[in-house]
Amino acid sequence: MIENDQNNTIVLKIRNLNKAFGDNKVLSDFNLELYKNQNIVVLGKSGSGKSVLIKCIIGLLKPDSGSIEIFNKNSLDLNTDELDKIRAKIGFLFQSNALYDSMTVRDNLEFPLRRHWISYSQDEIQKMVVQALTDVQLAHTIDMMPVELSGGMRKRIALARTLILKPEIILYDEPTTGLDPITGKEIINLMVEIKNKYNTSSLIISHDIKCVKYASDNVIILLEGKCYASGKYEDLILSKDEKVKQFFE
Amino acid sequence: MKNTSSINIFLKEVGETSGFGWRFLTQWFRPRYEIKEFIKQCYIIGYKSLPLIGLTGFIMGLVLTMQLRPTMVDYGVESQIPAIVGIAIIREIGPVITALIFAGKIGSSIGAELGSMKVTEQIDAMEVSGTNPFKYLVVSRILATTFMLPVLVILSDTISLYGAYLGVNIRNVTSFQLFWIQVFDSLSFNDVLPAFIKTYFFGFAVGLIGCYKGYNSNKGTEGVGKSANSSVVVSSVLIFIIDLLAVQITDLLGFN
Amino acid sequence: MKNIFFKNVKLGVFVLSGLLLLILLLYMIGRNRNMFGSNFNLRARFENVQGLKAGNNVRFSGIDIGTVKEVKIINDTLMEVEMIIDKKVKNILKKNAIVSITTDGLVGNKIVNITAVKSPSLYAEENDILPSKKSIDTDVMLRTLSKTNNDIAEIANNLKLTINKLNSSEGLWTLLNDKTISKNIDNALAEVNSASNNINNISRDIRTITKDIKKGKGTIGKLIRDTLLSKTIEEAVNNIKNAGVNILKLSSDLDNTVLNIDTIINNGEGTVHALMKDSGIVIKINKSLDNIQEGSKGFSDNMNALKHNILFRGYFRKLEKSRQKQ
Repeated sequence: MIENDQNNTIVLKIRNLNKAFGDNKVLSDFNLELYKNQNIVVLGKSGSGKSVLIKCIIGLLKPDSGSIEIFNKNSLDLNTDELDKIRAKIGFLFQSNALYDSMTVRDNLEFPLRRHWISYSQDEIQKMVVQALTDVQLAHTIDMMPVELSGGMRKRIALARTLILKPEIILYDEPTTGLDPITGKEIINLMVEIKNKYNTSSLIISHDIKCVKYASDNVIILLEGKCYASGKYEDLILSKDEKVKQFFE
Repeated sequence: MKNTSSINIFLKEVGETSGFGWRFLTQWFRPRYEIKEFIKQCYIIGYKSLPLIGLTGFIMGLVLTMQLRPTMVDYGVESQIPAIVGIAIIREIGPVITALIFAGKIGSSIGAELGSMKVTEQIDAMEVSGTNPFKYLVVSRILATTFMLPVLVILSDTISLYGAYLGVNIRNVTSFQLFWIQVFDSLSFNDVLPAFIKTYFFGFAVGLIGCYKGYNSNKGTEGVGKSANSSVVVSSVLIFIIDLLAVQITDLLGFN
Repeated sequence: MKNIFFKNVKLGVFVLSGLLLLILLLYMIGRNRNMFGSNFNLRARFENVQGLKAGNNVRFSGIDIGTVKEVKIINDTLMEVEMIIDKKVKNILKKNAIVSITTDGLVGNKIVNITAVKSPSLYAEENDILPSKKSIDTDVMLRTLSKTNNDIAEIANNLKLTINKLNSSEGLWTLLNDKTISKNIDNALAEVNSASNNINNISRDIRTITKDIKKGKGTIGKLIRDTLLSKTIEEAVNNIKNAGVNILKLSSDLDNTVLNIDTIINNGEGTVHALMKDSGIVIKINKSLDNIQEGSKGFSDNMNALKHNILFRGYFRKLEKSRQKQ
């Protein structure tokens, strides 16, 4: 594992993670470490279990065995309340954005704020919503409904919602899928910007080379449920391994 | 190893639905309470259904009266139309027809809404942001259907009795007061209370099935359509089954 | 925010109106069942309560004044009916009012009827036991109707016999030249004839009615819930009975007259001429013939009245129609 030059605190450590759906072993003895202020891109083919990995981390799926340590706490041993506290420090950007269709952009952003045990005043909430929307340059959409927005805008709103709780870890589930290359590039830039501005660590699930190229500090290639190769983009692109090479063609 | 025969699928569905219902019963009284969402759902489920249910109730009362008249005239008991229509509407037709319309409108919308939320990962997103989606989405909706349907049934009964009053007055002249006196004279608590209580179960069934189907919707837009459709079908059948049970129980308890 | 406020207001109106209607409905029913408001209890004892149940109505001279609260068994021959009575009639209802159990219409619900008696008494008080009367139930009524029916048939037979006798009494015809008498006899015979026809028709009709009622067919529908019905049937039955008695008397009168004439002739007590000259006998014969005429007319009237009775009107009409069809 390559350490980040600025910081060497491990925020997320995954050990021997196993997850199978019936006979289909999606993850087998998967290991991963994420350091503070580091962006890791997990590359893999469709259906190789990338989404399963991050859903296990956030607790939406339960792994069959192994451990997931977030801020040195094994998330699998936590009760609901403790899990919620951990989750508040993790942002999750869904592949399909998962914006609440029945709510305005404002309500969408307020939703996580009103949910958690922390109680904010109305003014604070207002300020945080505006701040998050400004970060993604969409302050003018505050009273619109998600269906009125374009795909790229929705992705950015979803990102704003993810950011509103100032997470320390952000999990991106295929952030550029379904977007045109230009919008995709904008999202990637935003991701880098966020990392630098808020000092976050990110785990990015993707099969988009651009994403790897611009947003990654480190790359993990997920193949048959295992960590097949890892390293910096610049190193991997020169790899002679056939299986690694096919990702960068 | 997969048991895919239809009887097994059916039994699995029944088991899962019961489990879902049990989960609701063990969760709804525990904090935290999603009161705001509950009120919002009450508004959507109850208030917004009133025009439709009022319309169908009105037509039902009117048509029932007009259909009954020839036979009643044959038997020379035309004057008993208000009593008979009153009993029919209060005891059976009001609750069941209203519940069926309700299942059609609300069951499908809950099924589709939760289904699409499931498909677009909105339910996951809620869970991630520290909300118990079961409480936020399911408990609030089931409670709303359970408490709103009885109110709707009462209103619909009233409207259909008014329709019946107009129906009586098409061929005959009955004063408003006499009509209501005749209706109330023929009714007893044994007519009203079982009919009223069973509407709670109807509402619960519609909410439960809609939520279950939506919450466990398959991926893709087809899954959403399927859950909307099957929630209407299953809850309609369930309404009749509950109705059958209700009449048997009231019979056993001697309230008939 | 304002939007949400109005939504909540609408929801509140919606729910409250539903609740209000429910309360109103329950209140109205409760009021009908005397559950709210002031009332008092009265009791009455019967040998047989004929299926009376808690919740049945109690009527005082045709007005609903309460409901049956409970029917208790005191012993094997005595049942007690407890009634909840509206307080409004407390200073109207007297201790000697008679309680009976009747049917609301021919096949309707059982009701308790309280009938006032025109003799002074104290006002009824809480928990008083009022005197009761064995009531006519439908079954008994139908049995009477059936018996009356048989009686009428017998009478009609007798009448026929008499008429035959009258017809075969040739001596009478040949010997009675007196025009007034023969005219009178003619008229009387015509009346008696039509009366006996009527009797025949009506007795047949009544037999069918009784049969139908027993089977619970046809007219039943028309009879249901006519509160006056039991009274009317009773009246009708009485009418028929009276008519029967009249006819019996009539036919025996006629019989006697003819017999008298016959004996007079047969015994040869003077010729017809002499007979006719005997003004006393002529007057007597004339008088009795007049009587017969009047009596048979009265019977016809009775029968017509019966025909026009509300109760049977529809039935007779139907009968006529079906006869025409045939």
